[in-house]
Amino acid sequence: MTTGPTEVTDKPAPAAAPARGGILARVTGAGWRRPAVAVLLVLACYAPFQLVPFRVFQLTMVLVYAVALLGLNLLVGHAGQISLGHGAFMAVGAYGAAIMLDRWDVPHLVTLPAAAALAFVLGLGLGLPAVRLRGLYLALVTLAIAIFLVPLLKRFESVTGGSMGLTLAKPAPPAWTGLAEDQWLYFLALAVTVTAFLLAHGLLRSRVGRALHAVRDNETAAEVMGVRLPFYKRLAFAWSAMFAGAAGCVYTWVIGFVSPDSFAVTLSITLLAGLVVGGLGSFAGPLLGGLFVMFVPGISQDINDAAPGVIFGLLIIVVMYVAPTGLAGLAGRLARSTKRILRKE
Amino acid sequence: MNERAGERGADPGPPGGDAFLTVTDLHAGYGEARVLHGVNLTVGRGEICAILGPNGAGKTTLLRALSGMVRVRGAVRLDGADLTRRPPDAVARRGVAHVPEGRGTFMPLTVEENLRLGAFVRRGRGEVEADLERIHGYFPVLRERLRQPAGSLSGGEQQMLAIGRALMLRPRLLLLDEPSLGLAPIVTRELFRIVQTINEQERTTVVVVEQNAHLALDVAGRAHVLETGRIVLSGSAERIRADEQVAQSYLGYRV
Repeated sequence: MTTGPTEVTDKPAPAAAPARGGILARVTGAGWRRPAVAVLLVLACYAPFQLVPFRVFQLTMVLVYAVALLGLNLLVGHAGQISLGHGAFMAVGAYGAAIMLDRWDVPHLVTLPAAAALAFVLGLGLGLPAVRLRGLYLALVTLAIAIFLVPLLKRFESVTGGSMGLTLAKPAPPAWTGLAEDQWLYFLALAVTVTAFLLAHGLLRSRVGRALHAVRDNETAAEVMGVRLPFYKRLAFAWSAMFAGAAGCVYTWVIGFVSPDSFAVTLSITLLAGLVVGGLGSFAGPLLGGLFVMFVPGISQDINDAAPGVIFGLLIIVVMYVAPTGLAGLAGRLARSTKRILRKE
Repeated sequence: MNERAGERGADPGPPGGDAFLTVTDLHAGYGEARVLHGVNLTVGRGEICAILGPNGAGKTTLLRALSGMVRVRGAVRLDGADLTRRPPDAVARRGVAHVPEGRGTFMPLTVEENLRLGAFVRRGRGEVEADLERIHGYFPVLRERLRQPAGSLSGGEQQMLAIGRALMLRPRLLLLDEPSLGLAPIVTRELFRIVQTINEQERTTVVVVEQNAHLALDVAGRAHVLETGRIVLSGSAERIRADEQVAQSYLGYRV
């Protein structure tokens, strides 16, 4: 008799479990995420009207880096692979767009899907080593890609403009918007960023996302469960490259100039550092990482003009010491302890 | 010795002759290191079959070979279908679920996400929900832990999760690699009891690799002793258990 009633109360729970759990998760863990995203979006739309053009440009660049880091996050944070050559995919997108604009006068908006698709295909190809290599070996191969890119871009001078690079027209704001150029560029970058985040979010919630997590957390178990490792590793590379390529394309729009030295090895390494500092595998990580990549080198320069690299490195060490799961992890921890304090009162 | 040598060639198979899994002259290895040297084995439909043997005999490699994770020579047939040299996902689609050595828990994912990944190659959401229920029936503790990261479970719970996750495939053949590894005896006994229940209720054929021969022989119908990459003895669990001399020479301890 005692088990009877408990069974009755137990029965409906399983059916309701997914929904109830979902709500619970939203309230406790990610509950503040939706409002936070909404507030952030409102602020993001408001900011360019309050800031001087240079600051607007800086924020635009934060968004560009955030999109690139979003891609890198898919690969490193979610699929557990590594890339020390992600700057190369950004370069592919940037140069792809630049050459399309320079040679064929393609409309700006067309360059975006084209550059993204180009990077996707290259990612599929360069994802081949990821199928066979892991860890340090994969890091080395991807690093090699980043290293050989700069001389390659300089070599094919007739197409890439060589060391001098290419100077291009920026997309002009349509008259009906009444926006200045910097504001228009900012909103273009914002639109790309929002789209990219929605796309990545959807991808991670799909079957593909589950497969990537399985590959990251236990390759053997993933394999016996029927997750095709070669396929999903290459797919992770391709998606990741696609976002980096899109970021590169927006980079070209915003700067109006590409040169090989903008995509040197340091860019790839800074991107990876920015992602780890921002928070691997987290939703906010790429945004925080974008802020870090954009502003911290400048701040380092202000602190000590002679050795910005040293300060930059030290700051990375400090962040990793204080917040081993990145700034996003730190924010989550602060939110939880705040909630605990509030609950006590 | 002659009698044993005779058994080395071909496994007479389970009584009744309804072979579900047939392994013929299976060779496998990793690069230069060859591990299996011509394994012959049949497993009857719906039986629990134990693979016994000392460390390094090739037990884990045999399971990995069955699920397509290592290159093999020879033949593996499941219910008439040829599984030789098929990739792991094709083998999984054929209904072979493999609980890997060390449980293969996706630590940062929740218990529920782990379970759902077990149904990765299957379609149809409604069935998956029903299967979650079914697995909670076998392992009630998993239901209480659904939202927890799987890494926070105890060893025994993780092994239950691993078996539950394998059941999400609705397997026709369940491969268990050393389920007792690192678990308390009482937990292991409980696990084997559940495996037996699963075998009886779902008619799932089970191949279990174990170092703990006692436990495995308690639930198995038939057993095979693997040594340095060859099956050196096959027979009913009772017979293997009774064969003390064999136990001493091949397992290194009294059964």
